Amino acid sequence: MITLKDVSKYYTKDNPVLKDIDIEIAPREFVCIVGQSGAGKSTIVKLINKEIEPNSGDIIVGKINYAKFPKRQIPFLRRKIGVVYQDFKLLPKKNVYENVAYALEVAGVSNKEIKERVPKILKLVGLADKGTCYPNNISGGERQRVAIARALVHQPQILIADEPTGNLDPKNAWEIIDLLLKINTFGTTVILTTHNKDIVDRLQKRVITIKDGKVVKDEKVGKYEL
Amino acid sequence: MITIWRIIKNGFSTFVRNGVLSFASTTVMVLTLLSLSLFFIVNVALNAGIEAVQEKIDLSAYLKDEAPEAQVLELQTDLAAFTEVETVKYVSKEEALERYKEQNKNNQKLLESLEGLENPLPASIEVKVTDPQYIEKVAATFDKEDYKEYVSKVSYKENKIVIDRLVSATKYIQNIGISATTAFGIVSLIIIYNTIRIAVFSQKNDIEIMKLVGATNWFIRGPFVLEGALYGVIGTMISMVGLAALLYYASPSISNYFGESGSGVTSYLYDNVWLIFSIQLAIGIAIGVISSTMALNRYLKTTE
Repeated sequence: MITLKDVSKYYTKDNPVLKDIDIEIAPREFVCIVGQSGAGKSTIVKLINKEIEPNSGDIIVGKINYAKFPKRQIPFLRRKIGVVYQDFKLLPKKNVYENVAYALEVAGVSNKEIKERVPKILKLVGLADKGTCYPNNISGGERQRVAIARALVHQPQILIADEPTGNLDPKNAWEIIDLLLKINTFGTTVILTTHNKDIVDRLQKRVITIKDGKVVKDEKVGKYEL
Repeated sequence: MITIWRIIKNGFSTFVRNGVLSFASTTVMVLTLLSLSLFFIVNVALNAGIEAVQEKIDLSAYLKDEAPEAQVLELQTDLAAFTEVETVKYVSKEEALERYKEQNKNNQKLLESLEGLENPLPASIEVKVTDPQYIEKVAATFDKEDYKEYVSKVSYKENKIVIDRLVSATKYIQNIGISATTAFGIVSLIIIYNTIRIAVFSQKNDIEIMKLVGATNWFIRGPFVLEGALYGVIGTMISMVGLAALLYYASPSISNYFGESGSGVTSYLYDNVWLIFSIQLAIGIAIGVISSTMALNRYLKTTE
């Protein structure tokens, strides 16, 4: 499903962020990528989402080889990969419903279809009754649910959650993780980057540990050990 | 189709949302378009003025009454042979009288005084040259041995200095006008470029999110480009109103100043109001679209 082969990325020559990384992620897998701040977790996310290009190595997602992928097609690729971030990245001037609908508007989906799909996805993330609320008037956990709903509304095969619980208290964090597990059971590949030890240890899922830009550990059922 | 509609909707909303910036951009746009139009008008007025003067000063030679017809015909053929000569017209004594009467039709006394007199006006040859600079060359014909004795007066000489001054003044003013308008155009391009860049910057997060959820560059760029075009459209409307007001109050004094050719200027402008409107609109939209596209290109490229 997702293959990173000998991938290196550096912003300055002497200081590589990633050094010859090899990662394979199968369809429907739930993978945690752990590591300290600056280890290169977010760089991996950005590479998979094609926000940045690697300096060397190949990235293949599904049947797409990123090196040969035309730039103009990137927006269409993004609609197949859902991403959620620590800071939610919601539009503050749009309400919950509009934020989710926006991802569909951008893709040229008809108003009729938007009206059908958005309530369904809001129900899935448990926000059926919050559609008219604005991001500033809901809790952090709820905001992250909106972000997840928006990421899922295109029915992507891959959901990348980059530190999704970083700004949340433990209860809200667990609710988000439960939601990700639920989405994974529907068949979506989930990649979770985090440095929350508690979550990683209790998840009992595959853990890839990154240190100084290298994969130092990759275990089927892993723990958070740096 | 639905996408285009969404882009238009977003364009209008960004225009309204960036109230102060939009106001600043529109103001600069109005100033640019106004200066452009004013230059255009001054140019038209000057050209009309020059034309009017040139019209008056085209070469004409008064013939003595005793000039034999054969010589006069030959003279005409000689003059017509110049490539620089546009037309050669022979005005007979009778025609000259008719013209005189027409010109002074409001002056009964003068006309009465002519009655009973033998026609005092001389016949003349009027020559139109393609450009005033050739007048001298063509006028030399009248000084030829064959014709000299039949020509009583060649009339361009008196006005030559005036024309020369006018022509050089026009060139001077045209140069100033072109540089001023170019400068204004560049200034407004830069200001609108920066306005849109600030607008883009203030919506940096929105744009990031748009890209994140898979918006094409076209979808992101569209509203901003439309916003730029709107500056042009609204700027044109305001500047047209300003121009109309200006013309309304200034046209009497223009007419006074330039005489007949002045009213020609105002009527020219009234006749070409749509042309001026279209030129302004085209330039306004071009400035808006070019500057906003430039502002966005930089941004969309760096964050791709």
